[in-house]
Amino acid sequence: MAQNITDMSKSKKHSILLVEDDELDVISVERSLKKLDDSYELHTAYNGKEALSMLKSGHLFPDLILLDLNMPKMNGIEFLKAIRQDEQLKNIKVFIMTTSGEMSDRSMANQLGISGYIIKPLNFNNNTKRSDSMDAFVQFHIRKIFSDTGQ
Amino acid sequence: MFRTGEYIGSRYFTAMKLSHQILLGFSIVIILSLVDSYTNYLLSLKVRQNADFISRSETIIRNSSQLHKSIIEMQSAFRGYLLTHDSTFLQLYEKGIVQVPTLMAVQRSLVTDSAQVNLLNNINRLHHQWLNYSTALINAKKDALGNRTSEAKYNNLFETRLRKQVGKKLNDEITEKFNEFDRFEYNNRQTRGKLLISSIEQTHKFSFLFLSLTIIVGLTSTIYIFRLISTRIASMVKVAEKISKGDFSIVKDTRNDELTGLSTSLNVMSAKLSKNISELEKRNSELNQFAYVVSHDLKAPLRGIYNVVHWIEEDLGNELSPQLAKYLNIIPQRTKRMEDLINGLLDFARLRERTTAEVVDTYQIVKDIAELLIPRDFTVEIGPLPDLYAERIKVEQVFINIISNAVKYTNRPDGVIRVSSRELGEFYEFTISDNGMGIDPEYHEKIFEIFQTLREKNEKESTGIGLAITKKIIDDQHGTIRVESEPEKGASFIFTWPKILPI
Repeated sequence: MAQNITDMSKSKKHSILLVEDDELDVISVERSLKKLDDSYELHTAYNGKEALSMLKSGHLFPDLILLDLNMPKMNGIEFLKAIRQDEQLKNIKVFIMTTSGEMSDRSMANQLGISGYIIKPLNFNNNTKRSDSMDAFVQFHIRKIFSDTGQ
Repeated sequence: MFRTGEYIGSRYFTAMKLSHQILLGFSIVIILSLVDSYTNYLLSLKVRQNADFISRSETIIRNSSQLHKSIIEMQSAFRGYLLTHDSTFLQLYEKGIVQVPTLMAVQRSLVTDSAQVNLLNNINRLHHQWLNYSTALINAKKDALGNRTSEAKYNNLFETRLRKQVGKKLNDEITEKFNEFDRFEYNNRQTRGKLLISSIEQTHKFSFLFLSLTIIVGLTSTIYIFRLISTRIASMVKVAEKISKGDFSIVKDTRNDELTGLSTSLNVMSAKLSKNISELEKRNSELNQFAYVVSHDLKAPLRGIYNVVHWIEEDLGNELSPQLAKYLNIIPQRTKRMEDLINGLLDFARLRERTTAEVVDTYQIVKDIAELLIPRDFTVEIGPLPDLYAERIKVEQVFINIISNAVKYTNRPDGVIRVSSRELGEFYEFTISDNGMGIDPEYHEKIFEIFQTLREKNEKESTGIGLAITKKIIDDQHGTIRVESEPEKGASFIFTWPKILPI
């Protein structure tokens, strides 16, 4: 297991785990990531349970988790709690995606340790008709995260 | 005040109705006054009695002197006749014989005291004794004037000077009795006088007592009742104030009197208001929830649809046939229209967020809107516009709707749009006019109705809600809106807005 982890972190490909139940939102994230220069390996789980089992299986050690907070079957906060309690998983960077109204969720997540948040709806900008926010988010934040960690 | 007494008394007292309590207080005061008056009345009777007694007493004394004087005169007459044989003395004497009994009788009728009656009787007896003695001597003297034998008889009588001493003794005794009589009378008077003074003093004391009681009872009951009523009323007023501020408390009223009816009504009203307000609040929160659902959950799928179309365009834009591109393009149009409709409905139902009133620079708003909405080649004239004190977003909406309407229906390159205003009493009147295609008078009312639009639904975005919303906003401000227009002659939208924010 430890061997795997070291190998993973040496590879140039950053891997991102996306935990999101809405199909369209998944596509949206995929498309935005594709526009970046670096290539990222994107893994998707459609709910918290699935994501947790993927992580615990040992085959997946992402550099970043993009976490949607309101999902059925184990919502975002529960998932976050679960991984923060796990020795192996607790240090993974997490970005949460949340709707504008859920301040309480954001502060709860903040207490559990997150690197930032983005407000949904993700990418529909009525006036400019472009996928502004997601692209911007991806290009700025994600690049920044990975450049900060030196890889 | 007097704690224990008041407590005991008040337990009975407070069970009574207010009117009874007031009546009781007044009754006590009146009774005390009556008792006081009665006491004084009794005193006045006593004084009158005393006056009568005094005048009677004076008569008695007067009579007594007169009687004594008559008796003494008789005595003088008797002596005089014996000495001078003058018949005038005899006349006097005989006058006295008649006068004395008369006077005596009068005195007897006036005198009531047994001691005094005894004295009078004694005087009478003594006087009769003297009469016997004096008459004998006088007769003897009369006879003696005739012949010698009678003179001897007279002398004999005279000789018995001892008898004169007897007469004198009798007279002295009589005098003494008179003096005693008078003294008695004077004593009586004095005693009576003292009694009267003490009665007066007593009455004064009673009067003062009653007066004090009256004042105390009067004041106490007034203050008590006043405090009672005013605290009750004050507590009701306080509750009423609380209710007006939205705190639906109730009046605690444990008594059961006239004021209780009022408290009950107040409490019923408070309860009803409370119930209504909480129902309204519940409805309001239900509506807010509804608005949330509508705005988020209804619009979300639209966003999804738009996204997908956009992605297709992004990925396959070059590969699409024009026909396909055209079809594809229709989708965002329709989804946008739906989103506009949803937003419009939310606006119409005023389910969007409330804003607060502020001073609004109308001129600046209109200028900004004009820049945004009016095509460059149009002529725009904006006259001076007054500041308004209103919710900014509402003012913006009204102008946006009307101006965009003007633009929509002015289909000529030399379009002219004018915005002006003037004062109209308590309102400002705004006029937005264009030189567009105008509106047939037939439709002047209809255009303000919801979903009425004079154009085809797919020509230019027209949801038919804009003017309805505008009219609603203006109606809420208690203003008016109308249109002046004829076909091909442009249109003027004229509306009023109050100078002061209506409550």
